[in-house]
Amino acid sequence: MSENSTKKMKPWVYWLLFAITFIVVFIIGMLTASIMERRTETVARVDLVRNLPEYEPRNEVWGENFPRQYESYLKTLDTSFRSPYMGSAHIDYLEEYPELVVMWAGYAFSREYNQGRGHAYAVTDVRNILRTGGIEWSPQPATCWTCKSTDVPRLMKKVGVAEFYSKKFTDFGSEVVNPIGCQDCHDPKTMNLRITRPALTEALSRRGFDIKNATHQEMRSLVCAQCHVEYYFQKPTNYLTFPWDKGFSAEEMEAYYDEMNYYDWIHPLSKAKMLKAQHPDYELYMTGIHAQRGVACADCHMPYKVEGGSKFTDHHVRSPLANIANSCQVCHRESEKQLMEDVVSRQNKVMELRRLAEKSIAAAHIEAQKAWEAGATEQEMEPILKLIRSAQWRWDWVAAANGVGFHAPVEALRILGTSIQRAEQARGMLQVVFVRHNVPIPVKLPDVSTKELAQKYIGLDMDKARKDKENFLRTVVPEWDRIAKERQGTLMKYEYKR
Amino acid sequence: MNKFFELIKRLMPPKGWKLTVAISLGVLAGLSATAFHISNATSYLSDDPRACINCHVMYPQYASWQHSSHRERANCNDCHVPHDNFLRKYYFKASDGRRHATIFTLRMEPQVIRINEPGKAVVQENCIRCHLNQINHVTAVQVTGKNYKEGKGHLCWDCHREVPHGRVSSQASTPNAIVPSLPKPAPDWLMQLIE
Repeated sequence: MSENSTKKMKPWVYWLLFAITFIVVFIIGMLTASIMERRTETVARVDLVRNLPEYEPRNEVWGENFPRQYESYLKTLDTSFRSPYMGSAHIDYLEEYPELVVMWAGYAFSREYNQGRGHAYAVTDVRNILRTGGIEWSPQPATCWTCKSTDVPRLMKKVGVAEFYSKKFTDFGSEVVNPIGCQDCHDPKTMNLRITRPALTEALSRRGFDIKNATHQEMRSLVCAQCHVEYYFQKPTNYLTFPWDKGFSAEEMEAYYDEMNYYDWIHPLSKAKMLKAQHPDYELYMTGIHAQRGVACADCHMPYKVEGGSKFTDHHVRSPLANIANSCQVCHRESEKQLMEDVVSRQNKVMELRRLAEKSIAAAHIEAQKAWEAGATEQEMEPILKLIRSAQWRWDWVAAANGVGFHAPVEALRILGTSIQRAEQARGMLQVVFVRHNVPIPVKLPDVSTKELAQKYIGLDMDKARKDKENFLRTVVPEWDRIAKERQGTLMKYEYKR
Repeated sequence: MNKFFELIKRLMPPKGWKLTVAISLGVLAGLSATAFHISNATSYLSDDPRACINCHVMYPQYASWQHSSHRERANCNDCHVPHDNFLRKYYFKASDGRRHATIFTLRMEPQVIRINEPGKAVVQENCIRCHLNQINHVTAVQVTGKNYKEGKGHLCWDCHREVPHGRVSSQASTPNAIVPSLPKPAPDWLMQLIE
């Protein structure tokens, strides 16, 4: 019967069905093409006036494409902001806290240690600081450049990562000239955030985390964690490594270092095998309430900004205290004055314990020196030196981090508490050593109440160091710049213009 | 039941045409599936904010939300679709989605996107849904979605004008904002094969 009925259907019905299918398929095809076309608009949304090759180190070239971001970045040259303890202004920390000179005796930090200025000064300041030496004394490896410049990813690509670290600081003087900037965090094609420093990717993958799985919000902190973390240089390769294998806390990193018997230097006064903490900003922040509530570094340090009708991320990376309205007040409804007080009151408390720790640890180093002089034995001193090492590591873990502990006040105070306890325990044991060796107690401590006195006490010839640096800045650096300019065609001078 | 089979039989193509019809229907179905896939159609069933930036016209809204404090607690749907019951939620989503899709496909989107009237009432309901405890019963009791629909009372953002997208929502307001990109339509192995 059905065959009969189909036979009954007129030929034009088939033609109609054909036409309808034709039209439907045609329309769906058009729709698909339209969707694809609009997807392409998304890909091409980064409207570049000048194409950026991979590894373009010059921030001013990126700036032609992104004038708003670039101009706000240039404001990191502004050094006018000073908060009670930090800010973007030049602060000589050895002048402020002379105990640090004693604590870092035998280590380059005892020569000069300042509040870091903005990102755009990174290359200038690492050249200027006495820690990197001059012509006669130049102790640092190329690894020191790793976090200073957009030239580093380019160089690592060119010479290889391990080879980069194995060179000397001065080997790359003419290669590393563009300060921390665009290329360090952004993909030149898509402008997506990306990690350019292998140490972070390596450390996270050892912990079983593939950086490719990071969300955009996580990346807004992880790009900072390329540098604002605790790290060390493997011996003897100077390979930059993050000590995160056991965990992110001060104790877990300490256990990591202890296990491999690592030390940065041997303290010339106490003979303790010391660790130097570098700014573990990211690790400390992760234990704080802001991180736990999902706030990224960029939310406070690079808040959204409106200029005319345009909203963009403020690339003037700086203390949120200089910009409370756009950082804190996005979430907190209190007045600027109140918020400032809240932050500073926590910093005051951290600083109170920090100063106690500094005084105890500096005294412990000097007392240990006196104990050695009085004939103390290795056996007597060993547990004491271990305590001093641990105390100073924990103090430094908080003190070296930016923000005077505000990234996580509770954790900062806890670590400082254990630091003071260890330093005082060491000093207690030192008193026993003094009694055993007939040294009258209390031992008289030298006057190290200013930077000059302290540097003299530890036997530093600062005039020589300064002269060497001056020579270096006058003769070597201009040559570096000349070669760099020849290579790049242009060389930006990073100076603050009002 | 018999009639049902009869209908199937009637729709069956004659012997000589079976292959042709099967292939044409396959083309139709395959092409529809492609359209379904590249438009991320299934993502619209979720509450993932990324579904809202399948179309790039919503980038300013996404970027400004992503930089606001609401980011931590509320996604797009928490505010922009009703939550009092399941049916109303998906009915609203579907009708809003149909409108958006039509406008976007026909390229009729305005430069400055403003929320429409039904949308306003829904957002107002949702302000109250979360912020119930912050509403002062003397001063803000009139501020409801229902009152607004009837032309009475105000809206929360008549005063809280920056919440959460800021005042400017033109397509030019967030140039170069970094938002998650769309998943690639073709799988990696296929792209590698082509290369």
